[in-house]
Amino acid sequence: MAEDLVLDTAIRDWVLIPLSVVMVLIGILRYFVSKLMRSSQVPDPKIVKEGQVIVRARNLRAAANFIPPKSFLSRRVYFSNEENGLLFVPKGQTQNAQAQMFSDPNMAMDMMKKNLSMIIPQTLTFAWVNFFFSGFVAAKIPFPLTQRFRSMLQNGIDLSTVDVSYVSSRSWYFLNLFGLRGLFSLILGEENATDDTQRMMQMSGFGFDPSKSLGAEKDGLDIVQHEWALPKFEHRAEAVLKKLIR
Amino acid sequence: MVSKTEETQLNRLENQVDNGGGGAWEYLCLVRKLKVRRSEKVLKHGLSILNDPKKRSALGPEEWTLYEQVAIAAMDCQCLDVAKDCIKVLMKKFPESKRVGRLNGMLLEAKGSWAEAEKAYSSLLEDSPLDQVIHKRRISMAKAQGNISEAIELLNKYLEIFMADHEAWRELAELHVSLQMYKQAAFCYEELILSQPTVPLYHLAYADVLYTLGGLENLQTAQKYYASTIDLTGGKNTRALFGICLCTSAIAQVSKGRNKEDKESPELQSLAATALEKDYKQRAADKLDLLTRALRSLKN
Repeated sequence: MAEDLVLDTAIRDWVLIPLSVVMVLIGILRYFVSKLMRSSQVPDPKIVKEGQVIVRARNLRAAANFIPPKSFLSRRVYFSNEENGLLFVPKGQTQNAQAQMFSDPNMAMDMMKKNLSMIIPQTLTFAWVNFFFSGFVAAKIPFPLTQRFRSMLQNGIDLSTVDVSYVSSRSWYFLNLFGLRGLFSLILGEENATDDTQRMMQMSGFGFDPSKSLGAEKDGLDIVQHEWALPKFEHRAEAVLKKLIR
Repeated sequence: MVSKTEETQLNRLENQVDNGGGGAWEYLCLVRKLKVRRSEKVLKHGLSILNDPKKRSALGPEEWTLYEQVAIAAMDCQCLDVAKDCIKVLMKKFPESKRVGRLNGMLLEAKGSWAEAEKAYSSLLEDSPLDQVIHKRRISMAKAQGNISEAIELLNKYLEIFMADHEAWRELAELHVSLQMYKQAAFCYEELILSQPTVPLYHLAYADVLYTLGGLENLQTAQKYYASTIDLTGGKNTRALFGICLCTSAIAQVSKGRNKEDKESPELQSLAATALEKDYKQRAADKLDLLTRALRSLKN
């Protein structure tokens, strides 16, 4: 591989630049489309309440020693008794998130919208790139790389003799797909950047179950040892006053 | 809560704006961020920006936030015409907005037409039953009409859902105290201590309520909380020092007949008394005589 491959400037003008511009434009278009389709979510009172219960129970656990024993015990019973305690979740009611998702058509609809705005443009652009630009060597990066990068940079070219620093058009598409986030956050503002990788993470972590955290909080509350801190404060107050008087 | 550095920054900025040094918009932003109530200044400086088309358009979309802020400040100052104008502008821009609907309700409230305001709020609540601000407006409306028991009822309903809102607990505690429902107030103060265990104010208020309730156990607990207030404030709180003295004498009175061994430390009381005397000597020497007499009467 002594002599370099010379890339035609027409490739730059008709492959590299159009591909990048199209990727950026599609990203922006998708942002606006998803903004249009986003439905304002009305939070469920039950879920809000559960969140608040957890906060309050956590406060109780953290600051238990600051209130008298009687008050603490009555609160603990209020939170975790097995009849109607706030943190107690009856066994049958722990519906799993999947079932809940199917029972609520709105939620499924939302998911579908998100999916549509993500998958459809991606498949279309991929097909487009494959159809028009397959097999081009579109660019050359200015530093050498090891063989391992071949599958990343030369997707679509099955030549083992080409130096790895050449980038095929299909790989250029993938690089753009995942690497334009910084540019989008510049164009559309910080939070608005559409990031596919992050969205995929969200999808996999979707089935979050609040009743589990309720149960965990209940267990935490059950094992708290109450030791009233206030008697100690009397001695500390004495020390403070002694210092003050002196 | 506003920290000390933020407050000095705010005051400095206010001074600068008052003396014509510019920075009105920064001042208004800071007021909004810290949620402090300086309605007159906000009204004055906000209007000066709004009345100047060049400055107003320089704000961009923030302009509407300013309209809202000025409208609320104007209602607070009873400049209802100004508020009405601001709301009208906002109405034109956002005809469907709930936030503007809320402002409208507040305007009705400021005029004193309670029934209409109530109607406006309840129609807003139908659309978004979880709007905390509207719930709070309804509660304060009941309070403003002097209908404390209804305010308490509404507040209880609110706290059933938003039970981590400590400001609401504080309001409930104060309402209970004003109706002399001390047991309920004590519960609320316990809740406040749980959510912010290092705020001496809550310890002090809780101790006050317990002392007022009376009974040996409550008095002893009250004394402990006065002690914790002293510890948290570094002995600077006069009310807590008085509280210690009063509690000790009240406990002595209650347990006199039972001939129980007094294990509570009388030392704390004498220390508190000395601290009080020293404080009075420094700050109000002419009232020292009154204090010594009062303390002596407590001892007997």
